[in-house]
Amino acid sequence: MREPANPVSPEGPGGTMDHLDEMTCLLYAERQLDRVRAQAVSAHTQDCAACRTLLRALDRESRLLTRAMLEEDEPLPSRLAEFQERARKSFGWIWGVIFGLAATGVYALYTTFVEPWQTRLQEAGFGGTSLLSLLVFQGAFWKGWQSVITLLEVLAMLTVAGFGVAVFRKRLRRGSALALVLAGLCAALALPAPAGATEFHKGDTYELAKDETVKSDIFITGARARIDGTVEGDLFFFGQSIDISGHIKGDAIVFAQSVRINGQIDGNVRSFTNNLTITGTVGKNVLTFNEVVNLDSAGKVGGSLTAFSQSVGIDGKLGRDLLLMDGETTISGTVDGEVRVKGHNMSIGSSAQVAGPIRFEGDNPVSVSSGAKLATPVVYTKREHRSQYREGHYYIWRVIWTAAFVLLGLVLFLLLPKFAGETVSAGERVGAPLGLGVLVFFGVPIAAVIACVTVVGIPVGLLTLGIWILAINCAEIVVGTVVGSWILGNASDTWGLIGRMALGFVLVRIVYTPLSQLHVIGSLVGLGIWMWGMGAISLALYNRFSPRVSPNAVAGSMPPVSLPPHTTVGGIQPA
Amino acid sequence: MSVPGMTETTEAVARARAGDADAWGELYRDFAPAIFRFCRRALPTREDAEDATMEIFMKLRDKLSQYDETRSFSAWLYRVAANHCWDILRRRKIRQDKETDDVENVPLEHPDPNQLDKLIEQKTSEEVRKALHKLGARARMALVLRYYSDMSYDEIADELGVRRAFVGVVLLRARHELRQALEGKSALAAGGTS
Repeated sequence: MREPANPVSPEGPGGTMDHLDEMTCLLYAERQLDRVRAQAVSAHTQDCAACRTLLRALDRESRLLTRAMLEEDEPLPSRLAEFQERARKSFGWIWGVIFGLAATGVYALYTTFVEPWQTRLQEAGFGGTSLLSLLVFQGAFWKGWQSVITLLEVLAMLTVAGFGVAVFRKRLRRGSALALVLAGLCAALALPAPAGATEFHKGDTYELAKDETVKSDIFITGARARIDGTVEGDLFFFGQSIDISGHIKGDAIVFAQSVRINGQIDGNVRSFTNNLTITGTVGKNVLTFNEVVNLDSAGKVGGSLTAFSQSVGIDGKLGRDLLLMDGETTISGTVDGEVRVKGHNMSIGSSAQVAGPIRFEGDNPVSVSSGAKLATPVVYTKREHRSQYREGHYYIWRVIWTAAFVLLGLVLFLLLPKFAGETVSAGERVGAPLGLGVLVFFGVPIAAVIACVTVVGIPVGLLTLGIWILAINCAEIVVGTVVGSWILGNASDTWGLIGRMALGFVLVRIVYTPLSQLHVIGSLVGLGIWMWGMGAISLALYNRFSPRVSPNAVAGSMPPVSLPPHTTVGGIQPA
Repeated sequence: MSVPGMTETTEAVARARAGDADAWGELYRDFAPAIFRFCRRALPTREDAEDATMEIFMKLRDKLSQYDETRSFSAWLYRVAANHCWDILRRRKIRQDKETDDVENVPLEHPDPNQLDKLIEQKTSEEVRKALHKLGARARMALVLRYYSDMSYDEIADELGVRRAFVGVVLLRARHELRQALEGKSALAAGGTS
């Protein structure tokens, strides 16, 4: 980069033609020239009227600028005036309440969802005395998910690292940041690698011939796959249908419409499918979410079978427990452990053999054939379909959750006051956010699933789904705030917005609770709230990231203000 | 710019450092209007300025221990504010104005002094403020630092991350942009009436 030209030399003023250039005049007017140059300029202006005029014009420009900037054209906003008082207040009690209610929420979550699951999983033969030991130490539930967990761990680590860099970026110099990034990369590379490199296959069909062996994990995406050969690691499949007639020495993790296991799987099977048919052998446990599960008469599962399905048929041999949440259950094969089923109907055929106790909670008594060999009589519990709305604890929990959401909104509004305001403004337009909400509500999960199908896109897909779920949870808060603003008028500060959020959210809950009992209308209203809120959030994000145009300053009549000159101009001689 | 007396400020700063909430309140009451105005001039919108003012004072609580009492508190506060606003502008990547490479090409011709004089004569403070918001972030910030905060060329160079020798060029270019913005407005008005 060159130094800016300076036409004024110690020998005398220079510049274009016979005049000083503007740069020199400005530097002189601002007293930025050294003594010799300043004297040369001064001497020149004694004889040159044009340069004298220019100097005076620059001086006047400086004064105009200073006056324009210093004039008190706007009073201090009330939000800032209140800030002083607010800043003095202690936020300790708020955080205390937040943590207290968060703990309550966690406890509620644990007792409502986690504990029953834990009990059922224990009953299914996973063992363990606590959920923590079950999941973390024994790893029974996650057995077979190591690769997925590793991926998530890496993603989580990267997220944490990114957050850390963002938080501490101002304390890091460029070199430190570079070192940090390099260290992070080294750490990522130093992570324990899988036993062998994973093979990836992408295409319409994939076939592993009988005499072929894959010595590592294999990851397949495509419409159809057929495994006749041997896989020494784990099998991952995302596609339409897969037929496993070969030998999988690890686990099989399958997302497909139809899965047929004719061969042998030494590890576990985790599947999200429409139909799962097992005519071969699974060495360990099966966990499946699907419509129909069939353990064929020739099929064997060495461990337990846990299914969330419409229909389950057990004709083959099950080495341990059977845990089902389904519609129809038929047992004609052998179960060496306990049977625990929650569903609609259950029948036990004459060829059935069950070594452990049988518990069924359902709508109809269990139909047991006379030839069935059962270690203990069936314990049947009729399922009661009492309306939850008639129970007192439903309303208690409703109030607790409402308070929890209001607090979530409070925290979010305090953390992101500006974005919260923008979101509420976007929500007030109703039409645009609803339209965008429909698009986001349906489009984002589809896009996330598509991203998940591609190998590279799994982190992106999971992250997108996470953000989508978060947005759903925030949608009602946004809608509540909009409603609150309609009632009380627009807020001028964050606390005003929080007040409107609390009022609006409670009102929305009060109105929506009885409506939600009307199946179609309730669902539509619920969907509408979600879409409206999500649309408002999306619109605010769009506005935030779209190119901004600097708006003009606030217009208004300006009383003449007499201010002392504030420039450092002093080199100019009177005309 | 209404700035309290030096003695009172020094005393308030000392008390605020010791954790006196009232002293903190005094500092806020005395300086918040000026800092808000600074942010209002430097940042694109009123909401940005409000947010930035609050953030600056929150930041000030943490940074107060770093303040050297032998120096002017208001000058130090403006440095903090300038850093914060410039950070905001940089984060938003709206530095659409010319970088230092372009700074070299600043025209050094002799403008018509009479025309410049006439332009300045015709314009009001309000028109200048409106025109300021049409400038690029660097140009606007340079003018604000110089003519609002009364910063030296060294301080401006430090804030904007340019060499000291180019501060004059940045300021001159900013003035040129401002004149164009002012002329553009008047040309439009003239066009509308003729």
